[in-house]
Amino acid sequence: MIKRSLIWGTLAVATMLTPAFAQDSTVRIVLNEEVDLLEPCMSTRSNIGRVTLQNINETLAFLDLREGGGLQPKLAESWEQLEDGSWRFHLRQGVTFSDGTGFDARDVKHSFDRAMDPSITCEVPRYFGGMTIEAEVVDDHTIDFKADPQQPILPLLLTLISIVPEETPIEFVREPIGTGPYTLTEWTPGQRIVLSQRDDYWGEMPAVTGATYLFRADPAVRAAMVATGEADISPSIAALDATNPATDFSYLDSETVYGRLDHSVAPFDDLRVRKALNLAIDREAFIGTLVPEGALLATAVYPPPTLGWNEAVEVWPYDPEEAARLLEEARADGVAVDTPITLIGRTANFPNNVEILEAVQQMLQEAGFTVQLQFYEVAEFEDLYSKPYPEGRGPMVVVAMHDNSRGDPSFSMYFKYASDGRQSGISDPKVDDLINRAQAATGDEREALWKELHAYLHDDVVADLLLFHMVGFSRVNERLDWTPTMATNSQLPLADIAFK
Amino acid sequence: MMSFIRKRAFASLISLILLVVAVFFLSRLTGDPAALYLPSEASEEMRRQFREIHGLNDPILVQFGRYVWDLLHLDFGDSVRRARPAFEVVSEAFLWTLQLAVITMTLVTVAAIVVGSMAAFRVGGFFDRIASLTSLIGASAPDFWVAIVAIVVFSVGLGWLPTSGTGSVWHWILPIGVLFIRPFGLIVQVVRGSMINALSSAYVKTARAKGVKTRPIIFVHALRNAMLPVITVIGDQAAALLNGAVVIETIFGFPGVGKLMIDSILQRDFNVVLAAIMITAIAIFLMNLLIDLAYALLDPRIRY
Amino acid sequence: MTSIDIIPDEPKPLVRLARMLWADKFALAAVLFLLLVLVLALIGPTWLDEVAQKQNLRGRNAPPFEWERGWLWILGADALGRPLLARIIVATQNTMMVAGGAVFFSALIGTVLGLIAGYAGPRTGQAIMRLADVIMSFPSLLLAVVVLYILGPSILNLVIVLAITRIPVYLRTARAEVLEVRERMFVQAARVMGASPRRIVFRHILPVVLPTLMTIATLDFAFVMLAESSLSFLGIGIQPPEITWGLMISQGRQYLTTAWWLSFWPGLAIILTTLSLNLLSGWMRIALDPTQRWRLEMRGRRNG
Repeated sequence: MIKRSLIWGTLAVATMLTPAFAQDSTVRIVLNEEVDLLEPCMSTRSNIGRVTLQNINETLAFLDLREGGGLQPKLAESWEQLEDGSWRFHLRQGVTFSDGTGFDARDVKHSFDRAMDPSITCEVPRYFGGMTIEAEVVDDHTIDFKADPQQPILPLLLTLISIVPEETPIEFVREPIGTGPYTLTEWTPGQRIVLSQRDDYWGEMPAVTGATYLFRADPAVRAAMVATGEADISPSIAALDATNPATDFSYLDSETVYGRLDHSVAPFDDLRVRKALNLAIDREAFIGTLVPEGALLATAVYPPPTLGWNEAVEVWPYDPEEAARLLEEARADGVAVDTPITLIGRTANFPNNVEILEAVQQMLQEAGFTVQLQFYEVAEFEDLYSKPYPEGRGPMVVVAMHDNSRGDPSFSMYFKYASDGRQSGISDPKVDDLINRAQAATGDEREALWKELHAYLHDDVVADLLLFHMVGFSRVNERLDWTPTMATNSQLPLADIAFK
Repeated sequence: MMSFIRKRAFASLISLILLVVAVFFLSRLTGDPAALYLPSEASEEMRRQFREIHGLNDPILVQFGRYVWDLLHLDFGDSVRRARPAFEVVSEAFLWTLQLAVITMTLVTVAAIVVGSMAAFRVGGFFDRIASLTSLIGASAPDFWVAIVAIVVFSVGLGWLPTSGTGSVWHWILPIGVLFIRPFGLIVQVVRGSMINALSSAYVKTARAKGVKTRPIIFVHALRNAMLPVITVIGDQAAALLNGAVVIETIFGFPGVGKLMIDSILQRDFNVVLAAIMITAIAIFLMNLLIDLAYALLDPRIRY
Repeated sequence: MTSIDIIPDEPKPLVRLARMLWADKFALAAVLFLLLVLVLALIGPTWLDEVAQKQNLRGRNAPPFEWERGWLWILGADALGRPLLARIIVATQNTMMVAGGAVFFSALIGTVLGLIAGYAGPRTGQAIMRLADVIMSFPSLLLAVVVLYILGPSILNLVIVLAITRIPVYLRTARAEVLEVRERMFVQAARVMGASPRRIVFRHILPVVLPTLMTIATLDFAFVMLAESSLSFLGIGIQPPEITWGLMISQGRQYLTTAWWLSFWPGLAIILTTLSLNLLSGWMRIALDPTQRWRLEMRGRRNG
């Protein structure tokens, strides 16, 4: 009798002492800002994409950013380009949405049209500027996309469209319905989002059966939460907190910090001055000090894995004497090199941006420039960063951070360097021509053209003050098997997470 | 008293109207929500569409008229950013702030009055010095300092309390503890100062001379007359808390009105800003009314 | 045969003040510290500006108390390798200008308005109080953004924003005290004797009100120093490489667990300044009040 109760007692105590998470197949993820919308057509915004993309809603294809990855099929099993230049997608069969309805080509067409509809202002249309695209249903499992002008990277562009049922109304929804392995079970705004696995998912069931998303704006708190076990993953923590190699991982996060120059304002209209600007900065000195180890020195506004990256382009060396000499030469020719330059930053844009810009300011001053530093909050910064630029502005170096994780320069080059580009500071016909040709080209020719543009902008035009490709840090609970990739900034597919 | 309240309500309504008008026009002077909502690369066409949908292309007086009309139907508009009614967004957040503010200020009031009075009783004594020192340090220490150190010590280090969040009672201890410190420091000083004056005034001396030995009675009499500046400062600190304790909300993840206000101002989400200001203003006006009534209660000589 | 020297002459006011200061060693220390701060505020930038600006990326976040590098590096180095002690000294000028300016103007305007509100007729009083309500409900961030847009970034605008947001507490406290005091006997007596309202307010009522206001003002100093940093952070006012103590604290926030000295020393500077101001104001409250002066003159500590 006593022995039996002893056994039961011990068993009871043993189960009580077993750590609760040993059998827990759900994860808790702490994000750095609140998710204000869960609308699928807004999933290109990173804080929304991290919750919905590939979890609730899926896309026709997705970009695998690992070595030799490329476009992988998802809801579209295969695609080909037809003779008239349009793209035909063959859709997967036997897929259902979480509300039970079947997935077919009409859903795809509706998803596309809805995302482009001017009455709801999704973010997506900006990627389709300058072209008209028509989606044509061929049959239940085949759909054609016709683009004018022809788009060689149309399948890549379509990875931005989240697929929703055709009954979805043309207004922002708060209960997204998709083909992904999870559905939204709870959303307490400002506090928590809960996703749970659904049984009728078409693909392989992920190991993670559910996820809770929490929001904490302070990076130290996020790191602390994973350390104490209150959370399992924090996709973004501060470099300073990333001290534990067992749980902390760094990743190139596809963000590039650069200073945009307006070539129409003196003295930036003079090539020597722009060269001097670049030579005056000791970029190496920042790595490991103000910019975390692992960050790369930038020669373009998109990171190395992007198509058309030109390895032959070299980073500007640190040569303050040459910079001073060039300035002298320009001054002798009557260029107004002593005009005070304003170095403009956006508050809380990236970690240490105040210190980085202070250091840049001092380096430029040592080379002979007169530099003032001014920070602005988001709204005012946007006014200075995008056209129309304010009248009567002096020479400005607008330091911004640009994100391109899409694998192709076309997502950046037009806006940043075309004569009509919204953030462009140059107006160069050769650049415009190269951009147009590269956007229309395919395969090797495309790659060659982008490489040529890369070198031309960096070495010949000296368009900007390019600085760094940034790294991010994540902290992951040791019970999980997951490491961040370049895509982590914009999406976090729960299917990638495994338990150890 | 009823006529007093009625007149006050009317005057407060006028202030509320002035406030709303001021905020409406001033905030729209400060920038374009479209530029903040849409990414930098969005086309001018997209921005125009965005403004069109949200009625921002109309002349400002038309927008104002529309806003007033909606307001009379108790429609505060939608949050541009969150695609939800602004009133819903703000009232959810305000509930959290209200809880934090009420609990904190209750604790502060009780603790500060006790400590401040005891300090004043023996001016320059040991307790007085210690109380003054700690309250002054508390009142001038940066709040994020205290918050993060508290988390590092009590949560990561000792594991007694959760780092952040709103789940259980334990989650409230650190945020309220940190919020408590500054108003406590300030009010202890004010109580102490007023009590020193009150305790050395003629009527207290008279009471003592007449043989009233019991300390509590002297305390209560002196306290009553010292309270006027004290409750004024309590009201000011409470108003600050009602406007939201941004740092606490940010660090501890409490979805209160402070962070909401800052985010909405920076995002130019005007409807949310206006709704938040209105709700907070009403709370503050009510509180000030109660304080004014308290003046009259505490000191019968005061007439309005 | 009366000895005229039995009753000693009353010492000159300055000597009397000095003696009272000597009697309270804490207040003496406070005065000395504040004089040091004042001197540093005047000469700091001209003396140490160059040293404080010298960046040294390899020596960033150097820890304090390493004596080899020289006395300037005693407190450690900041994120760009600049010596903290030099930075703090140079920052004194900006900090004092902004915080001092804001507190001074808000206290001055708030007190004057409060005195008027308390003493003038009911209509004026109500109007001023409702204005105070509006200011209390107007979020300081929105005010800052609006001022920034309309007037541009500058230190003066920063002081304006900070001053406006702090007016209500002085206003309401002054008014509360006036309401109470104006019914007192000595005020009635003065009125009966024909004193003008201005004389009554400034000669009789203000001295009673002043001590509480000074207590609030000294603690407000710390609050303003910290609030200033969050506004400058948004681009309104002090821009890098110009610096204030508040800005140093917020820049050191991310290093709280790895390089605590970045935020600690400027925070300590704020605390010490607040402490000193408070000790000084406490001393002044006693020294300038004829009924309390005996505490210092007799060096006694017992409550009456």
